Amino acid sequence: MSFIPGQPVTAVVQRIEIQKLREGDNLILGFSIGGGIDQDASQNPFSEDKADKGIYVTRVSKGGPAEVAGLRIGDKIMQVNGWDMTMVTHDQARKRLTKKKEDVVRLLITRKSLEETVRHSMMQH
Amino acid sequence: MEEYDVPSAASILASVKEQEARFERLTRALEEERRNVSLQLERGSLPSDRLVGGTTGGSNQPLAWQQMVMQEQSPSNQTSMMQEPQEVVEETVTIEEDPGTPTSRVSVVTSEDGTTRRTETKDNVTNMKVTKVVKTITRRTFQPVVLSQSKPSTPIPPSTTSETKPVTKMVKTVTTRTVRQVPMGPDGLPLPEGSSPLGSYTDSIDRRYMKNGERFITPQATSTLTRSYNNYSDSYNDTPDSQFRHYGLHDGYGDMPENYGSLSRGVNYRPYRPYMPTGGYRPENSYTLPIRKEDYGHVAQPQVPMGSSTVDLNRSQPERFQPEPYGLEDDRRSLGPDDEEAYDLEPDYSTANRRTLPGRTIREPLRNGPRVRGYEDPIEAELIDERHPYIHGMYPAPLAQPERGSMASLDRMGGRRSPSIDSIRKDPRWRDPDLPEVIAMLGHPIDPVKSNAAAYLQHLCYENDKIKKDVRQLKGIPVLVSLLDHPKAEVHRKACGALRNISYGKDHDNKVAIKSCDGIPALIRLLRKTNDMEVRELITGTLWNLSSYEPLKMVIINHGLQTMTNEVIIPHSGWEYEPNEDSKPRDAEWTTVFKNTSGCLRNVSSDGAEARRRLRECEGLVDALLHALLSAVGKKDMDNKSVENCVCIMRNLSYHVHKEIPGAEKFQDPSALQGPGSAGTQRKKKDDAGCFGGKKAKEEWFNQGRKNGEHDKNYDTLDLPKRTEPTKGFELLYQPEVVRLYLSLLTESQNYNTLEAAAGALQNLSAGQWTWSNYIRATVRKEKGLPILVELLRSDSDKVVRAVAIALRNLSIDRRNKDLIGSYAMRDLVSNLPSGQQRPAKNLEEDTVVAILNTIHEIITDSSENARSLITAQAIDKLVAINRTSQSARETKAASHVLQTVWSYKELRNGLTKDGWNKTHFQPTATGTPKGSKSCKPGYDDTTLPLMEKNQECLIFHPHFSADGYSTIDQRDKDSKYKSSDGSSDLQEREPLKNDTNRKHYIRSNRPTVSLVDACDVKPQPVDSWV
Repeated sequence: MSFIPGQPVTAVVQRIEIQKLREGDNLILGFSIGGGIDQDASQNPFSEDKADKGIYVTRVSKGGPAEVAGLRIGDKIMQVNGWDMTMVTHDQARKRLTKKKEDVVRLLITRKSLEETVRHSMMQH
Repeated sequence: MEEYDVPSAASILASVKEQEARFERLTRALEEERRNVSLQLERGSLPSDRLVGGTTGGSNQPLAWQQMVMQEQSPSNQTSMMQEPQEVVEETVTIEEDPGTPTSRVSVVTSEDGTTRRTETKDNVTNMKVTKVVKTITRRTFQPVVLSQSKPSTPIPPSTTSETKPVTKMVKTVTTRTVRQVPMGPDGLPLPEGSSPLGSYTDSIDRRYMKNGERFITPQATSTLTRSYNNYSDSYNDTPDSQFRHYGLHDGYGDMPENYGSLSRGVNYRPYRPYMPTGGYRPENSYTLPIRKEDYGHVAQPQVPMGSSTVDLNRSQPERFQPEPYGLEDDRRSLGPDDEEAYDLEPDYSTANRRTLPGRTIREPLRNGPRVRGYEDPIEAELIDERHPYIHGMYPAPLAQPERGSMASLDRMGGRRSPSIDSIRKDPRWRDPDLPEVIAMLGHPIDPVKSNAAAYLQHLCYENDKIKKDVRQLKGIPVLVSLLDHPKAEVHRKACGALRNISYGKDHDNKVAIKSCDGIPALIRLLRKTNDMEVRELITGTLWNLSSYEPLKMVIINHGLQTMTNEVIIPHSGWEYEPNEDSKPRDAEWTTVFKNTSGCLRNVSSDGAEARRRLRECEGLVDALLHALLSAVGKKDMDNKSVENCVCIMRNLSYHVHKEIPGAEKFQDPSALQGPGSAGTQRKKKDDAGCFGGKKAKEEWFNQGRKNGEHDKNYDTLDLPKRTEPTKGFELLYQPEVVRLYLSLLTESQNYNTLEAAAGALQNLSAGQWTWSNYIRATVRKEKGLPILVELLRSDSDKVVRAVAIALRNLSIDRRNKDLIGSYAMRDLVSNLPSGQQRPAKNLEEDTVVAILNTIHEIITDSSENARSLITAQAIDKLVAINRTSQSARETKAASHVLQTVWSYKELRNGLTKDGWNKTHFQPTATGTPKGSKSCKPGYDDTTLPLMEKNQECLIFHPHFSADGYSTIDQRDKDSKYKSSDGSSDLQEREPLKNDTNRKHYIRSNRPTVSLVDACDVKPQPVDSWV
């Protein structure tokens, strides 16, 4: 999943659609994110490449909408509703995810296991 | 307001890329089209009556397809005739080339059986001639043939009589259909004349206009959509010689009166040019949009060069938010979706068009007017949108609204409504009305004439100061004002639109002229009377424009303050006089009307003490503004202009509250010298045990912040005055509760103006010696506001840094704040200082540097500890450099004060000497300066920010010393939040589903007391956010 800045990234991605949970005024996705271009990427425990300033899922609450939708800790979020998340600040990512007007977010995520699965299946054929 | 987006290399590159992308799309579209056309050609051989009937039925499908293709092909350059199936157009293809270039006129004539004939005339005729030709054609079409409708390419005078309308619609389909086939041509490619598809499609209408302006004629100018269609027809008919049959055109025309291959929609939009072909009072170039750029260098108009590519650019760059400095002028408002949401929802647009549509459909309904031809509206709107492609992206992209209005009107006018103009048209010596005539028409007994004339004026005035001035001198303004009271909505709407454009601009005489004929009360009257949203937008927009001129501010207050508050501010803010216990409080609506009105109030709120008094005492105003802001914070929607306006009003109204509010004397702090200090000492222990305990994790802090209801009651040591009833009105301005509001804004907003205003509000509130400012200063600390402010010292925005620095200075009147700021802010303050003549990266203005120096001075005064921090932060180097070499006398003086104060601490001298400094470094280079001069005030030129400058209070305090720590912005927090996922932060885990709205990312756990800040590395701390 490492990449050269400025070069296209190839990644195996999975679409995840999360229906936000409405609790009072709040819309809840039930996961937390870390990372962003304004953050210290070297402290991100999930990234393979410590220079990767992408947005990562750092926590997923039990039974929350994100978990239900299949999101996992360590997933790297590539897009949110079509918006690129690989070059955004932490706050931009958060805002993009927490639009009050959107009940559903569609994520494009990538994770190591996905790549492995794909590689595996490709070797079989 | 004078800064423009000059297209950068990046944007040019982006636009090139965009064109490439478009070319690719186009190629694909062409492929598609080729396939489809072959299909269509088959159908084309169907009997024509079938086709005609098809308007409503049979032809829908192909039309739908066409629509799609159109979009594909020319995202930003829609000819748009295909907008809605049943609205397919009809026009004559009278293509008029630029005057002065070979003029070519193409007519695609379709007969019922589906054949098409195309005629093109090319000549070097003059503009006048061209106009005539067109006109002839028009008449031709017009008179004998009822079946067809022709839209003259000279849009001025109305051309259609009502009875032609139904017929027209019928005919249309055929036309379109036929034309559609034409493009297929033998080779299916529209390239006969060498205009590449790229050229034809990417040339936006903007561009075309520009090129059509006298000066910008280039061959490219003609490669517009229209042109490429010409080519289509050319190849189809294969009658190249017809190009030179100029006036012979009529004959062919007469022969086939029925249908005219249309496609010239775009041509309609060349009205700019032909609109005033007689040139009676046409200054130069002024009627064409793009030329504005030349004429109005001062107006930010990212127009032509960015062209169509802008749209995509913006789309891919979510952070398009670029607050315009202070958009007072309505002309400049964008009609693009104001809030992110509108376009957020559809991030996948592949064409500008798709994006345009949703926005427009929302906006359009308001505008209207008799829709004589319903189908025209989408088109005109479309074109307008195209002409301002940038509006979709840039937040406050300059105006468009008025222009839009004027386009609308223009089109209608050109369309056919005014009988009088009609008559002009029939006049053999046909010409455009000149300005005096238009103004005279404002008094015409027939209402539509009035409204058309007003609409025309609006159009003419758009961005044209010369015309505005002429209108004024021709006494047009009083007439327009009198039309505001006209009972017909159409009339007062158009009059208002014209006034809005006239009121915009640097020429204050126009504003004065409106005022002199009692325009302000008339506007306010109309505001009370009308419920039409569009009219209200126009009124408030005009008022906003007027409010930018100092002498009118009080007039607006006198006539309109309460009305604007009652009619707009309160209803749109969601605030209610008597909130219904059961219903949940309403949120603010960021409507254009609210934005305009708040902008107007923002301007008038800067008109001195009396203005402030009036606004503060205006019933419901402060309450509503506060409610709106709280709602913005609650919704995390605080980057918009309305919020900015509201915060600025609040900031302005907070200025000098301690002197200006009734009964302020009661609260003057008699024990000023001890008050805050002693309170601070007492509080210290409590705080240590409470909010300032060292172990708290961020989450806990947040939770606490959120639930702080209870904690806030613990102002025990502060002795907040007991309130027997809820606070209301201006008292709300300085209640400690507002501190959290401003801090939330400071934390969350991305809008520099909002940040500046929020910091300014805190600065205003923490100034002065009265009970409330003591509370405010302490509350900022208790609410963890100091780290937030210190963080903002790193802002890229000069004015934010300045406001924050001054706020910190006022806050340090509180002794404990002073110690904390001294310990934790010093490094950030110092890092903003230039090193000698070499400025730091930020290149802060003189005012800002002086403000920072003054803040440092305030902090180290009476605190050798803080002076020590200053030395540790390696400030002496910089200070000495400034003192010796700065070009600015004020900087030199301020630095010199700081140095003298440092030297005055004898206990520090030893260390300083060791570092190689000696007494001479700490002495003023110039003449000795009295200490009292430390409150040099930064000046603000901006009319909307007049208050800040006087804010620096020169307050000298000698409170007790007390050391304490506050949660710092230490970047080296070990508590990596990434780790918290493995259970270390249980608190948060407990309520993982809460949408924590109060999160403040950069607040980390607390630091032990007294230590100095570690090196402030640039490394941002890891944070994570529950979403």
